[in-house]
Amino acid sequence: MVEDVKSHRPLPKIGSYLDTKEFWEGAKRGKLMLQFCTAAQKYQHYPRPVSLYSGRHSIEWREASGFGTVYSWTVTRSPWPGHEARVPYICAYIDLDENVRFLCNLVDCREDEVKIGMPAEVRWDRLSENIFYPDFAPRRRAHP
Amino acid sequence: MKDVAIVGYAETKIDVRTGRTSYELAGDALDEILSRTKVEKSEIDGLSVSETMSESANPFWAQYMADMLGMSPTWLELMGLGGVSSIGGVARAAMAIRSGMCSIALILASDAQSSGQTPEQGAQRHEFQYPTGLRGPVGAFGMIMRRYDHLYGLKDEALARLAVTQRGHALLNENACPRLRKPLSENDYLSSKLVSDPLRVLDSVMVCDGANAVLLMSADEAAKRGLKAVYPTGYAELTHYNLTEPMAEITDSGFLEAGPRALKQAGLEASDIQSFHPYDDFIIAIMLQLEHIGFCAQGKGADFVLNKDMTFKGDLPLNTGGGQISAGQPGLAGGGLNLVEAVRQMFGDGGARQIKRTQNAMVTGIGGIPYARNWCSSAVMILEQ
Repeated sequence: MVEDVKSHRPLPKIGSYLDTKEFWEGAKRGKLMLQFCTAAQKYQHYPRPVSLYSGRHSIEWREASGFGTVYSWTVTRSPWPGHEARVPYICAYIDLDENVRFLCNLVDCREDEVKIGMPAEVRWDRLSENIFYPDFAPRRRAHP
Repeated sequence: MKDVAIVGYAETKIDVRTGRTSYELAGDALDEILSRTKVEKSEIDGLSVSETMSESANPFWAQYMADMLGMSPTWLELMGLGGVSSIGGVARAAMAIRSGMCSIALILASDAQSSGQTPEQGAQRHEFQYPTGLRGPVGAFGMIMRRYDHLYGLKDEALARLAVTQRGHALLNENACPRLRKPLSENDYLSSKLVSDPLRVLDSVMVCDGANAVLLMSADEAAKRGLKAVYPTGYAELTHYNLTEPMAEITDSGFLEAGPRALKQAGLEASDIQSFHPYDDFIIAIMLQLEHIGFCAQGKGADFVLNKDMTFKGDLPLNTGGGQISAGQPGLAGGGLNLVEAVRQMFGDGGARQIKRTQNAMVTGIGGIPYARNWCSSAVMILEQ
């Protein structure tokens, strides 16, 4: 893949551990895609080869709402390699409305503004021509 | 059960960027343990080798190590549970001895992480972790501390007390990393740099090089040889606590289950434990373990710490060699550090930091940092005279 936009952070190595095409294709269209176990009727994230609940291939991809709340967060002052230009940045766990926890950056948000339980919504960061990465930001849109 | 005994221990000095290798460090540990126990190398027929950061690229690591040390084991185990590998190795070796697969087993951990290349853990990290810049275990424990603060309130003075108590022990430990053998005040801890708010640099370990080992045999064999013996009377291990609850509380851990199970096996209560040697990759992990294992209620760890004397002279001595945070973390051999210290104390070899009550000790292990949870494996071992 030719990258014609210089990314300010490491690009995900797509498909490096299993076929996650659905997630990244959804990302291009602004859709947050999650695996859903049809047997357990529960979502899971990160993507796995089988259902976390049943161990079977009882999974399909569904579009998530893109809404959640901040579960915990940390201000990264000493960066992970490749993120030197971004410090300080906020990493957060977001509890999605679909009942899964999602690791991401919290953007458009001051440190003194963050609170556990704060509503958040997905925000797509274009890292290259074809790669969009999910961040979260304080919720501005009305919740459906 | 007191049918299998730990009869010897060995430990190298811990230091940063020694330029030595896991093999050299392991050789030092073997030489020392043979010298201490007068066991011949040829008598050792069981070997547990911990995974390392520095040699993990070798898929035949345990076999290479046995070869390097001149051993032909009938029971060989490669332990890949991170900080659980040493006590997990002891538990598995005890089973191997009971079942007749071997009779004398060496539980070996060595790593030159600060001198070698750190391997890639791969899996989901390339897609769902690295692009966020979460700073590995430091970032994950920053999240845990923030969450703990939200639920219970973090008491800085209790965290500082733990840091200072362990540092005081490292000052008395000749094997501790020389760079860390400097007095530390509560203010030094509190004013140390924030690396992943609210986690400070002095909340975490410094990666070093080092090796350690213990030797196991049947209680009968130990008695025949006139060797000192301590017995692993309780052991419980759990990997991926609450895994199928994707929004499980990260201030809860596998110790809530493994702690009580190990105590029950030994027929003891937490309040019976005479010294506590928890896996300490981060200061908050010590407090969480005190709570989860049942020394105090959840959220009450700070009060417990502030109301106890956890120095080697006190009522519940804590990591009397300084722990990994103040003695240095010899890579993935770190899980053996506090085990060896517990055995050393129970043998009465504590020297200037010898504790008084050594009828029993508790040693724990933590291994692996998963996606958006706290840690992978939790394990608790109880040793008794």
